[in-house]
Amino acid sequence: MTAAIWQYVLAGVVVGAIYALVAAGFVLIYQVTGLINFAQGEFAMIGAMTASALATGGMPTPEAALIAVVVAAGVGGLCYVCAIRPARAAAGVTLIFITLGLDVALRGLGLFVWGTNPLALNAFSAGNAIQIFGGVLPPQAAWVLGTDLVVFAALYLFFRHTYAGTAVRAAVANPPIASTFGIPLRTFAFWSFVAAAAIGGLGGVVIAPITGATYDMGLTLGLAGFVAAVLGGLDSLPGALVGGFVLGIVEKVAGGLVSTGWEQGVGFLILVLVLLLRPQGLLGRAVRRA
Amino acid sequence: MTAAARESGAFPAALAVRGISMRFGGVQALEDVTFSAQSGRVLGVMGPNGAGKTTLFNVISGVQRPTAGSVTLNGVELTGRGVDRVAGLGVTRTFQTPVMFWGLTVRESVVVSLAAREFARRYPPSPLRALVGSGVASAARRRADAALRERADALLERAGIAHLAARATETLAFGEERLLELARALALEPAILLLDEPLSGLNPDEIHAVLAQIRGARDAGIGVLLVEHAVGELLAVADAVVVLDHGRVIAQGAGETVARDPVVIDAYIGDELE
Amino acid sequence: MEVFLGSGLAYARIGLILLVLVAAIVWFVPSYYTGLLTLIALYALVTLGLNLFMGYGGQVSLGQAAFFGVGAYGSATLATRAHLTPWLGTLAGGVLAALLAYALSFAVLRLRENLLALATLALGIVVTVAFNEWDFVGGSSGIKDIPGFALGAYVFDPRAYAILAWLLLLIGIWFAGNLVGSTYGRTLIAIANGELGAQTLGVDSVRLKRQIFVLAGAYAGIAGGVYASYQSYIDPTQFGFLLSVNFVLMSVIGGMRTLWGAVVGATVVVALTQILQTVVPIVLPSARGDFQAFFLGAILIAMLILLPRGLVARLSEARA
Repeated sequence: MTAAIWQYVLAGVVVGAIYALVAAGFVLIYQVTGLINFAQGEFAMIGAMTASALATGGMPTPEAALIAVVVAAGVGGLCYVCAIRPARAAAGVTLIFITLGLDVALRGLGLFVWGTNPLALNAFSAGNAIQIFGGVLPPQAAWVLGTDLVVFAALYLFFRHTYAGTAVRAAVANPPIASTFGIPLRTFAFWSFVAAAAIGGLGGVVIAPITGATYDMGLTLGLAGFVAAVLGGLDSLPGALVGGFVLGIVEKVAGGLVSTGWEQGVGFLILVLVLLLRPQGLLGRAVRRA
Repeated sequence: MTAAARESGAFPAALAVRGISMRFGGVQALEDVTFSAQSGRVLGVMGPNGAGKTTLFNVISGVQRPTAGSVTLNGVELTGRGVDRVAGLGVTRTFQTPVMFWGLTVRESVVVSLAAREFARRYPPSPLRALVGSGVASAARRRADAALRERADALLERAGIAHLAARATETLAFGEERLLELARALALEPAILLLDEPLSGLNPDEIHAVLAQIRGARDAGIGVLLVEHAVGELLAVADAVVVLDHGRVIAQGAGETVARDPVVIDAYIGDELE
Repeated sequence: MEVFLGSGLAYARIGLILLVLVAAIVWFVPSYYTGLLTLIALYALVTLGLNLFMGYGGQVSLGQAAFFGVGAYGSATLATRAHLTPWLGTLAGGVLAALLAYALSFAVLRLRENLLALATLALGIVVTVAFNEWDFVGGSSGIKDIPGFALGAYVFDPRAYAILAWLLLLIGIWFAGNLVGSTYGRTLIAIANGELGAQTLGVDSVRLKRQIFVLAGAYAGIAGGVYASYQSYIDPTQFGFLLSVNFVLMSVIGGMRTLWGAVVGATVVVALTQILQTVVPIVLPSARGDFQAFFLGAILIAMLILLPRGLVARLSEARA
């Protein structure tokens, strides 16, 4: 029994790593713009589908991956320019609906471009399955976890050790003062969308060899990413990492022990519990009441 | 003495603020604040910027919960209750920036206030009746709604803004917003009324109008707590004054005496130099 | 804002005219179009409830499809297992959906905007997963051979469903019209735009929000009950997140704070979906699946940027 549970945990770690990436994108956009971007999952879908389509067409995997990330980033920027910036001044509900519209539109776009058939991407390295304490992971899992490490380390370094990163933190902490210092908030918002899309796209690319790529993978990934982000704390990047793994593991273990259908359900039950009991998430800062 | 307040047992009203302390984010916003307010009297709340006056109002009205201390109205505990419960018990307030009900007209805004008491009194055990009654537009409901509109017009007349009754609240000038917010609060026939800087941003005519409303409220038996930076106007209308500085009460008593108190003057000058 | 007609009766009069029109139309047109009209009315009923909650109440719900589904599943289960007539089944479906909304309201209504949207979205999905995993209601296979409505010996044909659906819509809009024009409705708007101000006047805003949430659930549940009998087959995939998004779309296109907007929005979305599914494959033969989602998403965005108050509000302004 414990062997089975350990296997579920391992599966959860892998899928959790991707949730962490999607969640990082959410947190990035939320921190810089205050928006919850319902379309975040679609960036992962675009990354996965673009890479798979290009690779199937004969392009070597590394190039396909790179182009896929760039495409995803470009789509992210376009989304900001076409849909978010024109509505910056609108009421909160409006912006929520706009990102909802983006989610639906991007999925529809995916259908147009790639149709309903799933695509496949080869693992980045050949080799045997990785053995850990009796559990088994596909070799691609190393790439997935490695990507997580690189991305989160890069984000940490950026925000803590570069001038630009510090400027972003200042702007987020105190927007009016930031603008008097000449810090361009709109530019930050734009780049946060581009970065979140790139990170999401990268996540999609590295997970595609394990889960495959379909036009509707964005919805499940995006929703799981939300839950992970809220669980970890919408204003905390480390929280995204923690939330992603916790969610992934809980999902897979519950799914293994109860039924696979409840994998998704359990995630949302967690979301509701978090919103009720600790809305700031595990690592977020407490919200002060008016 | 207003009829509704009499019947709710809130008269004569005594608001007792005892030992209120408020701490958040490492800042002691209020410390051991104690004083009382009574019906039919205006109590001025003074103090330099950041003294904690708005926080005090937030605590009394239920917007914030104090870290320690209690607020009672005729012995009934107000602390820890929600804003709407506190209002139901007879304490209402206005805000530094008036809260308007966009989407409604001036008359409708006052109707909402009048209706709030009706809902509480008429439909206490059955929450569905208000919904269903309104939905099927029973004759009784329609009559009641019409009666509310008439009473709203009467109140607007007394507030001097009857000519604005049908206007959308989005189109009001700032002074008109203040008068509306005041009229709404008075429509509730409260025992205690908290006014947070009702004169700021107004021209002399508007100030005159608002002060008249405040005096009218006092004469009708309402206990008014008034925060106001315009010290001259405040002293002219207040029956007594309490002064806060850095969250503490530093003086209480008759307006003129307090105004000459060296401790008070010191607090204000200190504020100016900063 | 919509030029308010003064009372539910005024809305009902127009609704009656529409009902007669629909009855006349379905006499002549093929049952395919009759089916569309039925769908429009049922979706409009759900959207009406949503408008009350979002437009007048100032809240957000991304999970209305769950209440629609509860109504459908409730009615279908009672009809197939307890052999309850769909008339009662639909009523029961409405009650079930209302009860679910009541229970959920304690959890979600203290949340604001973003978090409320997330919570309703999450709950909507949990409900769908529950449908999928619970064998008592058929699991992933759903429920089939759902009995249709009948009056004595006469079993409803598509035309009768259309008339029933528009009749229910008429009743729904009459009730909503009365509500909105009453003091209760004005208090809702006050809560939507100045909740703290309303609370300082003694308005129990949480209770009122709960009531409207339950009402919106009831509207959706009743529409679901009729839907189940009309389709005679339901499965969990029909009540997912995408349907909830569609309802939001209908609400926004028509105008969130209007009543006719629900009908306009439902009509536009249903008609557009049909048109897109017919036209696009001609232009782009490779298009497959629910590709119209792209256009609907783009339209939602465009509407929110250009016409945030919806079509009905725009037309009212043009007339005024």
